[in-house]
Amino acid sequence: MAEDKKPRTLATESAGKIAKFVRGNMASTLKAREEGKKVAYTYINDGQDEIIRAMDIVPAYGESFAGVCAAKRDAEKYLQKAEAENFSRSLCTYATCTIGFDVWREELGGQIPPETPWGGMARPDMIIGSAQQLCDPRFKWPQATQHYLQDVPVFVGSMYYPPWDPNMDHKDQEKLYVKYAADELRELVLFCEKHTGKKMDWDRLATIVDLTDRTWDLFIETYELRRAIPTPMDTGDAMNTMVPVTFNLGTQEAYDYYVMLQEELKRKIEQKKGVAENEKYRVVWGAGLPSWFALSDFQYFNDKGVVFPVEVTYRNAEKLDRLDLPKTNDPLEHIAWRWVRFWTHWYEKARRRPGSLPKVERIIEYLEDYNCDGVVFHSAFSCRSWHAGIVQQAQVLKKVYGDIPTLIMEGDIVDISSYNEIDTHNRIDAFVETLEAHKKRTN
Amino acid sequence: MRTEMNQYFAGVDIGSTMTKVVIVNEGLRASVVGPTGPEHRKLADKVMEEALEHAHLAFDDLTYIIATGYGRINVPFADKQITEITCHAKGLHSLLPTARTIIDIGGQDSKGIRIKNGKVIDFVMNDKCAAGTGRFLEIIADALNVPLDALGALSVSAEKVTPIANTCTVFAEQEVVSQLANGEPLASLTAGIHDAVAARICAMVNKLKIEQDVAVTGGGAKNIGLVKALEKRFGFALLVPHEPLLTGALGAALMAKELFQNAWAKGEKLKRSGEGLKEASLFL
Amino acid sequence: MTGLQATFDLATADRYYREYGSRAKELKAAGNKIIGYLSALAPVEIMTAAKAVPVRLKGDVSQPITKADAYMETIVCPFVRNVFDSALKGNFNFLDGMVLPHQCDSIDRTSDVWNYSLKLPYWHFLNMPHVTDGPSVEFTKEILRIFIASLEKFLGTKITDQALAQAVKDHNENRRLMRGLYNLRRGDTPLITGVEMMKVLVACMSLPVTESSALIEGVTRQVKEREISPRGKVPRIMIVGDQLDDIAVIDTIEKAGAALVMDDISIGSKVYWPDVDDTADPVSGLAERYLKKLKIPTTFVSEGANYRENLEARFGHLKQYIDDFNINGVILFTYKYCDPYGFDIPAVKSFVESSGVPVLYLEDEYSTSTLPRIKTRIEAFMEMIV
Repeated sequence: MAEDKKPRTLATESAGKIAKFVRGNMASTLKAREEGKKVAYTYINDGQDEIIRAMDIVPAYGESFAGVCAAKRDAEKYLQKAEAENFSRSLCTYATCTIGFDVWREELGGQIPPETPWGGMARPDMIIGSAQQLCDPRFKWPQATQHYLQDVPVFVGSMYYPPWDPNMDHKDQEKLYVKYAADELRELVLFCEKHTGKKMDWDRLATIVDLTDRTWDLFIETYELRRAIPTPMDTGDAMNTMVPVTFNLGTQEAYDYYVMLQEELKRKIEQKKGVAENEKYRVVWGAGLPSWFALSDFQYFNDKGVVFPVEVTYRNAEKLDRLDLPKTNDPLEHIAWRWVRFWTHWYEKARRRPGSLPKVERIIEYLEDYNCDGVVFHSAFSCRSWHAGIVQQAQVLKKVYGDIPTLIMEGDIVDISSYNEIDTHNRIDAFVETLEAHKKRTN
Repeated sequence: MRTEMNQYFAGVDIGSTMTKVVIVNEGLRASVVGPTGPEHRKLADKVMEEALEHAHLAFDDLTYIIATGYGRINVPFADKQITEITCHAKGLHSLLPTARTIIDIGGQDSKGIRIKNGKVIDFVMNDKCAAGTGRFLEIIADALNVPLDALGALSVSAEKVTPIANTCTVFAEQEVVSQLANGEPLASLTAGIHDAVAARICAMVNKLKIEQDVAVTGGGAKNIGLVKALEKRFGFALLVPHEPLLTGALGAALMAKELFQNAWAKGEKLKRSGEGLKEASLFL
Repeated sequence: MTGLQATFDLATADRYYREYGSRAKELKAAGNKIIGYLSALAPVEIMTAAKAVPVRLKGDVSQPITKADAYMETIVCPFVRNVFDSALKGNFNFLDGMVLPHQCDSIDRTSDVWNYSLKLPYWHFLNMPHVTDGPSVEFTKEILRIFIASLEKFLGTKITDQALAQAVKDHNENRRLMRGLYNLRRGDTPLITGVEMMKVLVACMSLPVTESSALIEGVTRQVKEREISPRGKVPRIMIVGDQLDDIAVIDTIEKAGAALVMDDISIGSKVYWPDVDDTADPVSGLAERYLKKLKIPTTFVSEGANYRENLEARFGHLKQYIDDFNINGVILFTYKYCDPYGFDIPAVKSFVESSGVPVLYLEDEYSTSTLPRIKTRIEAFMEMIV
């Protein structure tokens, strides 16, 4: 029963401090009005963070709110509210959970519904979405929300990058994409200026962009410490520690958080303190958003000696020197280069290995850098953006790299109604046996 | 409109589990409920025979016959098919005229129907997922070794409701069994199961602009635990007709009467199926 | 089956519907290059200008998916999965290549699965944007130019502006003729049924543009000769959705006593209503039509000074159709796992209902296995609106 569950053991104290971050983020939306600030519903990894922060707009992330509801196993009431509006249960549950909450809040004349996890989020003054390359909900969700908040202006930008094509050198198209992305960011600036009544402080923006650069570097540097054997932190913790770089990007708090995390990881490595009692198998979390209501499954893995020193999910950053960004004085162009180069970072490697895919190259890189013996994927039914293509990734990985144990788990990000713990644990058990057998073979 | 003394109208409701026949004249003449079985065609005849027997009528005495329900297409002796949505609305409205919203909970599907002035104005259905239907309760009753009839009463006796998160029948069954093994009280678990079914039904019905009075019909309406769970979720009392299994067939019979008499008034004659009930004579 | 049809009529449409791709096979054997595509976003004018034959792919709703699941997740759009399954089964072996436009996640995120599994000689992912502002229009022009260059490279030919301009003319003419056929459904006695129209739409999307135009002309001539006795009051229905390409649901609607007289589907009015403007630089006109004129939920429309005006900009055409075709009921037909259409439902349902027309919302799976369930809902809807 949910109430009786032991709280999951976190490997790091830093991960334990994240709850405060998340609550703080949600609370800041509720305080914004009295502080004279505007609140914007917005979405992650679209390159819009710096502009929003530079305009002193308080971002409110449905993806975070829905994650919290899911972790508390208290999302169903919001999902049902959305369902009653004729939103299919097969749609992105980050969206339907938040929309359900929005509908309820509107019914109460703007009051936060009773028993909303951690106080909920404020009614937004604007909605900033992005019709970017890889997630349709990030422009359909804002649009759908506006049906219930009809006076709230909606902006939808774009952040495209060259698509993978084994027969084309994407670098030929880079400049086109960077120009497009930068132009779209410019449109966002105009929108923010219009709806805040303020002009963009370009110097301030440049400072924030610089801070983001340094945060990306620090974040990756810190995570790379997890190469250590035993690993001082695994994906179970990372699903917490990703919060600052994802939801607080462009703030000093986010940067400082990784300073603290890095210190802690260094200490643990010195003391040879790992995640599991007995670290037997190191596995890459190859793809997929986790089931926020079942993060304790990481505990289950750990208890069996399986640790995840590295994950692809919510690690949307890379060391800048590896991205080799062209110099520019225009902060928007710099943001555009940063994201375009990040999303295409593994294309080169994939081109050099016939039959490979960029996502697979990334997994191979992690397998080797972090000394891992297998890959776990999680396929969430309500999210095509991150989960369609996982079957192919597993197949291509085996084809181009070798017969390596892989597991594809199935569930959802927020909707617990199709989750079965016994079934999930059985699959994990079977996977551990595969890891065991593989280890014996390769030794 | 007055019914002619010798005009009898029949409604045949072929549900996935039960077949119901109602014969009306001025008022209700006969009503029978029988199992549907795997071959709708065969048993529809049998149930009709039984109804005719109760009504002291021969098949040829029937003026017009309408079939409804899941298997309505498999009633060769029916003169017309009308969906169960329209028929349940008609039937329920005649029994409980203050009802504006109807929830029909069947063995394998559930429906929400909005009516205004006795006519259907909106409807919603769930016939895909077992979680909002009688089937869910059946499976759990089996797993818990409690007779289906007793399940509802047991749930009402519970002191607390154990929430069941899973809507997938297979997984929910597992969840319940494992909770039982962990010492969770049986009554609480059944209350949880009934609430889970009620939740799914409400999620469906809430797609309509619900207006009171709300009535519940179908097999699910006979389950006191389910009705109570629904009332708790809605926050108001629900109306239940005396014989919830018959509203569809009753509605079909009333539709038969209405269509036939409307045509009669215009001087038109409705086309009959031309099929008999059986080769052999019905009466000895 | 031998060569070009001498007559073009409903029987022809029926044959091309049932033997989908048969004409493309003939053309392939005769030495033509056949390029398959998905969605309304593929610029057929470019393929026509390159002297290739564009063929819009479809699946088969009566075929269960048996091969695709080994390569593609079941959470992907059921239409995309079904077409992919059909391709794996060899139904599109006549293709020389495919162009896959970026319509939605289900296509974008499976592009590599298609490419790597089918291993066609030519593959192009057309990265159409979702927004329609100034920078996006400029970007689209470049994306179209990249497609043109890649097609030129594959075919070893140059696609001139004249060829493009001619293709634009031919496709505009094709669309004009199809609109003419649609117009025969406006009156009290539509001269062509919904089932027949579906067959024509499907047949046409598999033919080169000139043959498609000839087919439409032939059918138009044929049905104009018809003498239809008035049916009395019959519900006039419009169906709204993405790719519906089978008569099963249409037949169910018409057997329930209704007449399907109009559609807003992506193989129907969505592609036949908007034309390409005759611009000096043809790519300009193409970008304008495919990005801004096409009304599809994967393209974000930002027009309108307020929400109501924005709804008009997005769905106003539906009200126009309701008026022009005297519609009594609208069926919204979406597929499960479809975010772009799924998120639109509350807005479009309320928009249509605000014009006084009842709406039936159906979520289906691109499979006839669900037909009995669909049938009950459609019948109940007809009983309700009569």
